[in-house]
Amino acid sequence: MIAGPVLLLGLLLVAAVALYVLRRFESLAAILASGLSAVIAVALWRLPLTVPTILAGRPVHLGRPFTWEDISLQVSPASRALLVFLFATAAVTFILAWRTYQGRTFYPFGMLLLAIWGAVVMLQPLTYTPMAIVLAAVLSVFLIQAGKPGETHGAWRQLLYPTLAVPLFLIASWYIDQAPLNPDDQDPYRIAGWLLIAGFVLLLQPAPLHVAFPAVASQAPPVVAAFLWTGGQSVTLFLLQRFLVTYPWLSEAVDSASWLLWLGVLTAVLAGALTSTQRRLGRMVGYAALYDYGILIVALGLRGTAGLPTAIWLLLTRTFSLLTMATGAAAVRHYMASDQFDHIRGAASRLPWAVIALIAGGFGMAGLPLTAQLSSRWALLQLVAENDRRWALLLILGAFGVLIGVVRAGQACFGELKFSPVERAPRALTLIAFLLVAAGVLLGLFPQLLTGPVAAVILPLSILEP
Amino acid sequence: MSLLIGEPAVVLAGIGAVLIVVPRDWRVVLFGYALVTVMLSLLLSQVIPAEWALQQVIAGGLVAVMLFMSARQLRTPAHLARPRSQQWPRMASLTTFRGLAVGLAAIGFVAVRESLSLPNISPLFRDAILWLGLMGLMGLALHEEPLHAGLSLLTFLGAAQLIVFTLIQRRMLVGLLQGGQVLLGLAIAYLVLAHGLAPEPEGLAPEPEGLAPKPEGLAPKPEGLAPVPATRDEPDFSVFGGDAP
Repeated sequence: MIAGPVLLLGLLLVAAVALYVLRRFESLAAILASGLSAVIAVALWRLPLTVPTILAGRPVHLGRPFTWEDISLQVSPASRALLVFLFATAAVTFILAWRTYQGRTFYPFGMLLLAIWGAVVMLQPLTYTPMAIVLAAVLSVFLIQAGKPGETHGAWRQLLYPTLAVPLFLIASWYIDQAPLNPDDQDPYRIAGWLLIAGFVLLLQPAPLHVAFPAVASQAPPVVAAFLWTGGQSVTLFLLQRFLVTYPWLSEAVDSASWLLWLGVLTAVLAGALTSTQRRLGRMVGYAALYDYGILIVALGLRGTAGLPTAIWLLLTRTFSLLTMATGAAAVRHYMASDQFDHIRGAASRLPWAVIALIAGGFGMAGLPLTAQLSSRWALLQLVAENDRRWALLLILGAFGVLIGVVRAGQACFGELKFSPVERAPRALTLIAFLLVAAGVLLGLFPQLLTGPVAAVILPLSILEP
Repeated sequence: MSLLIGEPAVVLAGIGAVLIVVPRDWRVVLFGYALVTVMLSLLLSQVIPAEWALQQVIAGGLVAVMLFMSARQLRTPAHLARPRSQQWPRMASLTTFRGLAVGLAAIGFVAVRESLSLPNISPLFRDAILWLGLMGLMGLALHEEPLHAGLSLLTFLGAAQLIVFTLIQRRMLVGLLQGGQVLLGLAIAYLVLAHGLAPEPEGLAPEPEGLAPKPEGLAPKPEGLAPVPATRDEPDFSVFGGDAP
């Protein structure tokens, strides 16, 4: 009987090796990577967890744990939901990366990243999971640096904070083991709680530890950066949720909800303000994504019956907006002289749909009408206003900052070409940009389309097991 | 070797950490890291089985070899022809300043070491953890160059290992942490190469005689459609010098 985690991770590792061999045939590699990700997403969603099934003549038990000494891997209902999201996002991202020239090594490395994120999602004991996140950060270094000599800030900062977090989790695990030995003493719980919160602050990297965001945005190919943010952040937030469910005393020991709210609001406000002042497309996208990330942290901090569904809803809609914006930015950056606002003048005349994607994705980040984010943002703002109206006002101010930044970027794309003549965007890229924008508008008009997927994720998350 | 276990190992590890943070020369820095690694291994052998502690030396040795190979690749004749201030590694601060910072850290260390209590940790280990942790964080604050910053990070992790392995003795954990250290070393070695291969900063390169001064801004490109640079953003890992993946 083949255990689910073994099959999944084995398949991804084999696929990564095969894609590495095929990397020079980029079209083939992209289609294979995307197709395999889509097949895995569908299979994970469809196959039963509790009973074995026959795959290619072999019995496979998706929910069966795989144990090796201290560690075990298991696909639970909650982790399955996140895995489906990760693989579905990857299937779309691989196609976007192919048409926006993000580099041919993205496909094998992307598969390896999916394997590591999958391991984080399935791994027990929980206190070992940050080590897998560091492994993902190590791999990200190669994707962010992308073979370019010179600046290394983005890759280095991506690596630094998760690495510093690992000892905090391991020491916390010792305190957690010690606590039951003397039930009257609450100190071990308190110390473990603070260590875990400190570790999560390093893993989440909210403001003022957000320095990796703009550095990665300016250095890494935009679609790759969007993939790293979408996958990495959703995995870290899922991990936080697992910790909060597994260790209920954590919420009481350090008032984690309050910490998350404060950090989320600070991140969103600061990122909004900084988005409005950027003069480079990459950094503008980075700060807009950071604003959106702050919103997501706020949603997780709200907790309660409505907080978690809103966080999941936001996670789904932000992925649309982020990928749309990154696709637009990647196309403009690729075809123009550089991504400085001064140098992208005239982009709208040669790459109209790429510029529309950039602006539509940016508007989505700000939560404007006719974008996928509108309904989820309104739901969140209502929830925040119930707690404290000033926080809601601060989040709206941050959205204005994002809006100003996006309008400035869009404005910079108009006018006559300043430098060399630029090739028109190929039809495939135009079609992809159009589809992304149309999907965003459709979700903005009919947000109930996401009700099914959100409901399907909420149920397993609400019965999340340690 | 057994003579070193105990206080001498702590003192030598402390000296090694200072050598990672203060000097500019990469050979001295790598020697400092090797010293820290060997001494950490000797210290760890007091709390975990010797064969497990030996993994620290193996992992540290592999990291040192990778970094040595990266550094050697940067010593090209063209690179050595640059003025010394423009040669790799380029530092963000003066050696005197870093020395002064370490001196201040030493004063802080003496002031707080008695008041710091860590569970199940002996005073000797406490001193080693505090000093290595301080030096690691100071190196991270002072350096932006990947060789120094990366080794400072590994020094900080070394201090953390002293705590973790004193508290938790599990074979799997030792293996995972040491394996992680090797992978971190690989990423750092890659970043060292990427940073070291940076083109000479504009304005510092000697201007060839007889050439007209460069016009400000971007030079206009030739008429006609500009060819699309298909590999502008393409990761090709060419800094490894081998086959582009």
